[in-house]
Amino acid sequence: MFGLAARRCQNTVVAMMDLAEAKRILAALGREGVDYVLVGSMAMAAQGLVRATRDLDFFVAPTPPNVERLKKALKSLYADDASIDQISVDDLAGQYPAIRYAPPQGDYYIDILSRLGEAFRYEEIEREEVTLDGVRVQVATPRMLFRMKRDTVRPQDRLDAEALRQAFGLEEK
Amino acid sequence: MGVQKFRSVEEMPGPPRRRPLDPENLRIAFGLAELAQGFHPVRLKPGVYKYASWDDLLTARARRPAGQGPARS
Repeated sequence: MFGLAARRCQNTVVAMMDLAEAKRILAALGREGVDYVLVGSMAMAAQGLVRATRDLDFFVAPTPPNVERLKKALKSLYADDASIDQISVDDLAGQYPAIRYAPPQGDYYIDILSRLGEAFRYEEIEREEVTLDGVRVQVATPRMLFRMKRDTVRPQDRLDAEALRQAFGLEEK
Repeated sequence: MGVQKFRSVEEMPGPPRRRPLDPENLRIAFGLAELAQGFHPVRLKPGVYKYASWDDLLTARARRPAGQGPARS
């Protein structure tokens, strides 16, 4: 059920974010036809700038059918965890465009984003595809990651933006 | 490549840039995630947490482990 790095904690099995667990998540998104793009540090890693991170960040289309597909994918992974129903299209398309989900038996979290300020919406996220052991993964382009990271509040994001700028010859615009 | 010597850490080059969209990149990244979790296990409070912006989520991420102190849940 869990990735190879599952460990036992307080008499419950805890799934760690490892390759097997990540592929399980990405495969579920693909199986349910979720419109998503991997962004954040894992997307940077996919683009060749690898650093340690525990985050899985997804941009999703905040439409009713897509949010339903997302919830179905998460429920298939986390044994019908009732808290998944708190994810709603009204929130993602409205006041709460950033949602964090921590599974009941996982020591990682999945961050779900539907817009970034007024600058970025799902339709505008440039993407590419990478296939990992048969699992197709939609990944933000380096230029998109650069634009997304350069203006956030986190110092690490500004470092990431600079690394992207240098690696891909991107221009500040 | 053998042994390379540097007078300071600053002189040492970073890890080589890898080819974009090589599936091996994600293998390495998730391997690092697993290693980080092994060094510093974090037990998160399960649930759904909602933030008014990505910056709010990032601020919460930096301030404390996920799942501890949601904007709204």
